[in-house]
Amino acid sequence: MSAPIQAERQRRLLSLMAEHEWDTLVVVGNAWRNDYLRFATDAGVIEGQAIAVVQRNGAIEVFTESPDEANRIAAGCPGVTTVWAPDPSVEAERRLLGMGNRRTAIAPGAIAPYRFTAGPLAGRFDDATALLDALMRRKSAGELEAIRRASALADEGYAVFREAARPGRAEYELVADLEAYYRSRGCPDNFMILGSGGVEVRGMHPPGERRLRPGDLVTTELTPSIDGYWSQICRTLVIGEPSAEQQAAFSVFLKALEAGIEAVRAGVTAGDVAWAENEVFRRQGLGEYVTSEYTRVRGHGLGLYVDGRPAVLENVDMVLEPDMTLVVHPNTYHPKAGYIVLGDSVRVTETGCEVLTHTPRVLFSMPG
Amino acid sequence: MRRGLIAWSPEEVPPETLDARVRRLQSAMRANDLGAVLIHTCFPRPAGVSFLTQFVPYWSEALLVVVPDGPPTLLAALTKRVHGWIREVSHIGDIVSAPDLGRAAAAYLKDRMQSSNGARIGVVELGSVPRALAEPVAAALGADALVDATAMFATLRQPADQAEIALAERATGIAAKSVALFAEQNGRAGDKVSAAERAARAAGAEEVAVLVALDLAQGTVFRWLEGETTIGRRHAVQISIAYKGTWVRRGQSFSLDGRDPPAWTAADQWLARAIPILEAGRLDLWPSTESTAPPGTVTGWMLEACVGTAPLSVAAMQGKGVLRPLPPGSLANLTVRMQTSDGPWVRSLPLILGGQGTTTRPLAPIFLGTPP
Repeated sequence: MSAPIQAERQRRLLSLMAEHEWDTLVVVGNAWRNDYLRFATDAGVIEGQAIAVVQRNGAIEVFTESPDEANRIAAGCPGVTTVWAPDPSVEAERRLLGMGNRRTAIAPGAIAPYRFTAGPLAGRFDDATALLDALMRRKSAGELEAIRRASALADEGYAVFREAARPGRAEYELVADLEAYYRSRGCPDNFMILGSGGVEVRGMHPPGERRLRPGDLVTTELTPSIDGYWSQICRTLVIGEPSAEQQAAFSVFLKALEAGIEAVRAGVTAGDVAWAENEVFRRQGLGEYVTSEYTRVRGHGLGLYVDGRPAVLENVDMVLEPDMTLVVHPNTYHPKAGYIVLGDSVRVTETGCEVLTHTPRVLFSMPG
Repeated sequence: MRRGLIAWSPEEVPPETLDARVRRLQSAMRANDLGAVLIHTCFPRPAGVSFLTQFVPYWSEALLVVVPDGPPTLLAALTKRVHGWIREVSHIGDIVSAPDLGRAAAAYLKDRMQSSNGARIGVVELGSVPRALAEPVAAALGADALVDATAMFATLRQPADQAEIALAERATGIAAKSVALFAEQNGRAGDKVSAAERAARAAGAEEVAVLVALDLAQGTVFRWLEGETTIGRRHAVQISIAYKGTWVRRGQSFSLDGRDPPAWTAADQWLARAIPILEAGRLDLWPSTESTAPPGTVTGWMLEACVGTAPLSVAAMQGKGVLRPLPPGSLANLTVRMQTSDGPWVRSLPLILGGQGTTTRPLAPIFLGTPP
């Protein structure tokens, strides 16, 4: 856990609570969506769900659904009181009802347990989601340092991935090598998906049993975390020498990434960045492949969540601010080559961005 | 976010097995007058849907809709580009693209429930599903239409069938090898964890969590290792493995002296006698039902099992009694901590719970290593 970062985050959080006159803030998290909870308490959830009740005086209780999880959080978060219960939402509800009539807010609203809005606590909560989003959007110096270290780990991990990618190896064996490397580096968590094959491949997924073959495009996004902060790299390699079609296809992605990164600066919108990437494809007659039929987003926010806001899409008008962090990735399908990914993580600055990813932006070729 | 190999093996989990599980649920639905049952699935809570379909989401979320007849339908917030992948890794009826899962569920159900006046919809773990999912459904069909199906589902979830036991045995084997590699690896804590994790994933584990109590002199809390850490002379590891949706935990304390101290060996022997008398229906009496006193103070024991959407939930524990009743034949995981004259001792292992004439059977040896 990250004590210096947490002290700074708590200061900001308590200041927000005072500003909005919230006596209590309820923060929900789980093993997937832990950003708000980690920001508020520094508690990382490994299994199940946890609910934090934060008081304006800084007192924090975290309700978990296993005693081991409660003990682990207590050991790593001095000052946090943990309570475990078979259903932490029932226990948290009891606690909140016992506190009487206090001004209470909750975040993130979407994953709050239905009990909180359908039961005796219905109508009691202000939605703090957007305000916490704003707090988490611009990273402090300590947070940026964690993201830089995660970015370096992403680069290192990709080097391991390249070496692991050999004909005959199964996708899940590549992931085994990667995860083993990250554990040896003291990095406890990583989100990665990958894809392998040719023009029939439309996206990435968790590892399967498919074995790599000469000529395969092998795509991956690696997203390791340091102190709860995630950074991402997306790269594509070829088993053997790239074909002319693969090289030509890749050059579009390279231009699109460069255009996207060039567009990033404080004051532009996420939509502007997406437009810059997509225009490269459209100018090449590939406009169909930047639609939702083929691609989800052209990048996304990074921080305490792997897939944060903003979604980098043309219809997203969130304005980029200094010290926001995101990944720019024009990942999509190319009809002549298959699915290709290329993405770098960046920090927004007043005049542009600091690129956090240092792996060369090339179509790697590994021995076939 | 640790997804390893996700794959459905019709040999290991035949479609007939999954169909039979769905039919049992449908039978219970008819008996309880439920027009549909909804089971939410997401990364932290995949177990309800994976039990019926083998589908495990690697991110995002989905909702399984089971109606009284026919295969279940998956409403998936995941992009429809991965529907092909979902089909490969699961046995499922229709897959419906549902980027806004709550609204999609509301529309889907309203369409289908309209002809069934007053139809009740069971929702597994209704109180804790995300409000963004439940509220639109409640708004469309009426909040009174939603009933909590948690207890009903729990009665169907255990005992484990043969397919699940076989998966648990495979997972236990994977965990045992990983624990052994952790023990054998010299040097840094990170290298030990790395060796254990690589072995588990290379053996096909879908999910791996290697948690370490670095120094038993400081406590027995299992934690992820972050940064550079130093392993203590006596330490413990707990490796949780998911293999095709079935979870086991294997945990063991170790001494860098190369051999278990005498009190730990005595504790293993005590546990080997005590496990067979762990019994469904008498969990709150364990381990005092074992006639020989433990060679130390049992500071905590916990029995976990899958009864809902969480892979493992606490079913019984020291000081709390039985929290979720389990029938004989349940697949469960036991963790025991004991303070001995040689310091803290920890063991975790999966077992099949006995009762009503059957004896509790561990799926793994109590201790990994050379028996005394």
